[in-house]
Amino acid sequence: MNANDTQASDFEQRASALLGESVTRVNGRVRSRLNQARQAAVAEIAAGRQRTWRGPLLLQASGLVAAAVLVALLVSAHYRAERAFPSAPLDDIEMLADTEGLDLLENDGSFYEWAAGQAEALNTDGTSG
Amino acid sequence: MSAFATLAPVYSMPAVTPGDVDLPQSTPHDRARALNRFLASVELKAFRIAKIALRQDDDALDVVQDAMLQLARAYGERPEAEWKPLFYRILENRIRDLQRRRQVRNRVMAWLPLRRNAEGEEPPDPVEQAASADPQPSTRLELEEAMSVLEKAIGELPQRQRQAFLLRTLEGLDVAETAAAMGCSEGSVKTHYFRALQTLRAQLGDLWE
Repeated sequence: MNANDTQASDFEQRASALLGESVTRVNGRVRSRLNQARQAAVAEIAAGRQRTWRGPLLLQASGLVAAAVLVALLVSAHYRAERAFPSAPLDDIEMLADTEGLDLLENDGSFYEWAAGQAEALNTDGTSG
Repeated sequence: MSAFATLAPVYSMPAVTPGDVDLPQSTPHDRARALNRFLASVELKAFRIAKIALRQDDDALDVVQDAMLQLARAYGERPEAEWKPLFYRILENRIRDLQRRRQVRNRVMAWLPLRRNAEGEEPPDPVEQAASADPQPSTRLELEEAMSVLEKAIGELPQRQRQAFLLRTLEGLDVAETAAAMGCSEGSVKTHYFRALQTLRAQLGDLWE
């Protein structure tokens, strides 16, 4: 350790002693306000702890609310869609989807001729019998 | 010894409630008492540090109070060993914020000389100005004068040098703790502290001979 270090050490010791002395001389008004501030902070940590313990409950409650809102939105959207596009009766859908009749009309016209003949024959038999 | 032997204590730990994983095992009452004890141990030094930087009692009290509340709110659940550097870091941030607000206010007030004269600075507190009832021996006067000169010189240091010097000399933090409080490396702390010492010694050396 050189002389400069020793000097710095002496300087530090003296500065530290002076600063320490200044701490002991803080007046009563300041001490009182510091005490009040400390009590407020201590009360805050108690309040903070309560908030921490309520955290899971708040999380669960908010989750339930979010789920309820989601269900309500889905139901509402479903009803709105029904109103905008009223559902067709099932028979109509089947009729529209059925292509068998058209196939018969286009490709098998003789069937209708035969069927018409059968109907006339039945009528003739009925009137003659 | 198998690897499972080292895991055994983990299985014997108490079950942790979901959402409370960060809570220490102490009760709220214990934490409150610990915080009270900690703040009582640092509040006077914190006030002196703030007072040296801000030079006004009320401003110093405000920043110390803010730092206390912020520590309790944000870091009250942290281990007690972390409180001191955290507290002094918060305190320094508050001091810096107030100094910046003062600079802005002073710039604005410089454009409003009439308003400044009308409102003026707050009058000095008569209680503060009143002489103490205690006897004032010459040695005490000399001590107070030496304190005043030292604090004035420290207050004129650059912010980081002042912070390093006060945390080490007044609060007694070591280099690592000071680095944590200042949010910098230990090497930076040493540099700031050394420069602060040089400046103060140059200013006060003759007076202290």
